[in-house]
Amino acid sequence: MKKVILIKRVLAILVVFGLVFSLAACKRKTAQQPQQSSQNKNIEEKITLTFTHMFTNDGSAISTGFYNALNEYKKTHPNVTIKQEALSHDTYETKIKTLAAGGELPDVFVIKGSMVDPFYNNGQIAPLNDALDKDMMWKNSFVSGAFDDFKRGDKILGIPIQVQPTSLIFYNKQIFKEAGINEFPKNWNEFKDAVKKLRAKGYIPITAGNKGKWLVESCILSTLGDRFTGTDWFVSIRDRKGAKFTDPEFVNALRAIDELVKMKAFNSDINSLDNNQQRTLYYNKKAAMFFEGGWAISLVTNEAPKDVLEATELAIIPPVPGGKGKPNTVSGGAGWAFQINANLEGSKKTAALELLKALSSDAYSRPMLEKGGFPATKVTNYDESKLSTLAKKYQQLAKNIKYVPVYDVQLSPGVIEVMNSGLQDMIIGTLTPEKLAQKIQQEYEREGK
Amino acid sequence: MERQLFKPRSRVFIAYLSLPVLWYLFVVVVPLVLAIRYSLYEWSGGPKMRFVGLSNYVQLIHDYDFWFSFKNNLIITLLCIIGQIGIAFILAAMMTTRVLKFKEFHRTVIFLPVVLSPVVIGFIWMLMYNQQIGILNWILRAIGLGSLVRPWLDDPKLVIYSVSVPLIWQYIGFYLVILMASLQSIPKEIFEAAEIDGADGFKRTIYVILPLLSDTLKVSIMLCIAGNMKVFDHIYVMTGGGPGKSSMVMAQYAYNNSFIMFKLGYGATISVGILVLSLAIILLSRKLMGGSEK
Repeated sequence: MKKVILIKRVLAILVVFGLVFSLAACKRKTAQQPQQSSQNKNIEEKITLTFTHMFTNDGSAISTGFYNALNEYKKTHPNVTIKQEALSHDTYETKIKTLAAGGELPDVFVIKGSMVDPFYNNGQIAPLNDALDKDMMWKNSFVSGAFDDFKRGDKILGIPIQVQPTSLIFYNKQIFKEAGINEFPKNWNEFKDAVKKLRAKGYIPITAGNKGKWLVESCILSTLGDRFTGTDWFVSIRDRKGAKFTDPEFVNALRAIDELVKMKAFNSDINSLDNNQQRTLYYNKKAAMFFEGGWAISLVTNEAPKDVLEATELAIIPPVPGGKGKPNTVSGGAGWAFQINANLEGSKKTAALELLKALSSDAYSRPMLEKGGFPATKVTNYDESKLSTLAKKYQQLAKNIKYVPVYDVQLSPGVIEVMNSGLQDMIIGTLTPEKLAQKIQQEYEREGK
Repeated sequence: MERQLFKPRSRVFIAYLSLPVLWYLFVVVVPLVLAIRYSLYEWSGGPKMRFVGLSNYVQLIHDYDFWFSFKNNLIITLLCIIGQIGIAFILAAMMTTRVLKFKEFHRTVIFLPVVLSPVVIGFIWMLMYNQQIGILNWILRAIGLGSLVRPWLDDPKLVIYSVSVPLIWQYIGFYLVILMASLQSIPKEIFEAAEIDGADGFKRTIYVILPLLSDTLKVSIMLCIAGNMKVFDHIYVMTGGGPGKSSMVMAQYAYNNSFIMFKLGYGATISVGILVLSLAIILLSRKLMGGSEK
């Protein structure tokens, strides 16, 4: 019997020991960070950087450039180990916000324009002006306006990953011809006629996947809204200078989308598909067009069947009757940027900044451009013959395009959430455009208090 | 010697107990107190916090979307009580008959979904509901009910029922196990006597099994309410509360406020709201069912 008791005691001690040890391990983990960052100077020391991002190796233009630059960086920095976590776009956005809320941001990460304010106000990110000013070559290599989404006053709070339009119309000219439309509609009324004709032929006029909630707002409303309201209205909203979401121009933009829904212009499962699934209908020639940003150019080039790819043309949302906006604008900009944790110090910070530099170098931008992407830096010596047909078509279109702000990049997360889920509500018919405008305005005013 | 083995001294007793109690305090009570504290602040997750007193609660009481999601919680709870416990009860009753063969096999198969991750279940059912490739619509087309084909997770009137089905399906096995355990504690003689008296099938279920299981059923209903007031993962995966707000539940609403809109203070307020409402409903249901103090 004594033996049993002995075994029990030993077991109990082991359990307690294990618990204490695991607690101690937790503690050590948190204590590690400042310790590590206080050692510095010795560049050859081993550094580990955690890097959470949204570039899955899917062959898209941006991921090609990204992995190329990353491999280059690894070669020139053998002492730096990069612990990567690559997530899909929607998942990434959720994860990074959750990490930020818990105060556990990784060393290097990607942020959206709308995250800048909450992150910066909480001291989780710091301005990069010093680092940029130290290397003017780096600073001057960016295209004009690249930093716009990440500037607060003079402070630059992110290194843009790309500068691209978020609203392009990809359409199949064969299907358009079949429906008796020989060229892309020149104004909104013609566009609606085209939708009707396509519908009559049995096609889904516009395929859309709005499960992530951002697509309708980011790829359609941001540009369509500008056609109705003009850019001054948006600037006034952003800077809280008196414009309202209940202004008739903005409500008209919402009504225009509502009208499209009522005309059955979209697929009926619009709110349960995501933006990758939306293109499937287009590839299968069941749908005549879809709205998506510049990133889709390389995706369509890679994914679409040959005949669909050949028939694909690009356009932008046509002007609307009585609209105040210019006809050649497209919502766009940098949108997302690389940033480093404000807590980094010493050699770890140096290594992280060098990583940011690598991610806006030629090794990053050139392969991206050649695959049809939109680097944020000026690339001079690239191989034009490598551009895909669609990318060339875009280059043609881009000559006349001017960028206007994307709503979800520049407005606060609260307003955007109300707008995005409200748009879903409007699409399924539980909210009228007027009510939606009121709801957005309510949230906007509550935050402004 | 023997006695010492089974009756440890109180010092040892406390030593053994203290760890789980501490653990419980750490993972349940402390977060609860913290949530109540956060609910009094306007807070976006970082070091900056602004004390706003009870104004978050005032906002919560006037928050239409919160009460709408509470209504959805109630619908789901009701469906789950009927679906999970009802089906589990019927299955348990069938398990006592001699007609049913391979009882072990059935029990295992029915219990299997309980151990799966809700996220996996959500993804599987999302695929099943898919309009183009989903098996549900495929079956409907195959048996000539093509007119019923629809995007099951897109229709605002249907979506709350669509998301309830996987929930019900997953936890039938859980209640089946509880009910079976309680059924097995009923002496065999009672069933034999019932059989001799001519009570079989339906009659036996209503007059013999139901009264004998009533206490277990009450507990199950309570568990079901508590579980469904905090339902989150299935809905998060399948619809994220959408389309719009049509399948929004309270936990999802708290999540959206905290992590999408960066209002962690208000998110904490909603969590406290969930706690209060759940407690209220459980107490109410105990009153309605005659309480368990007899």
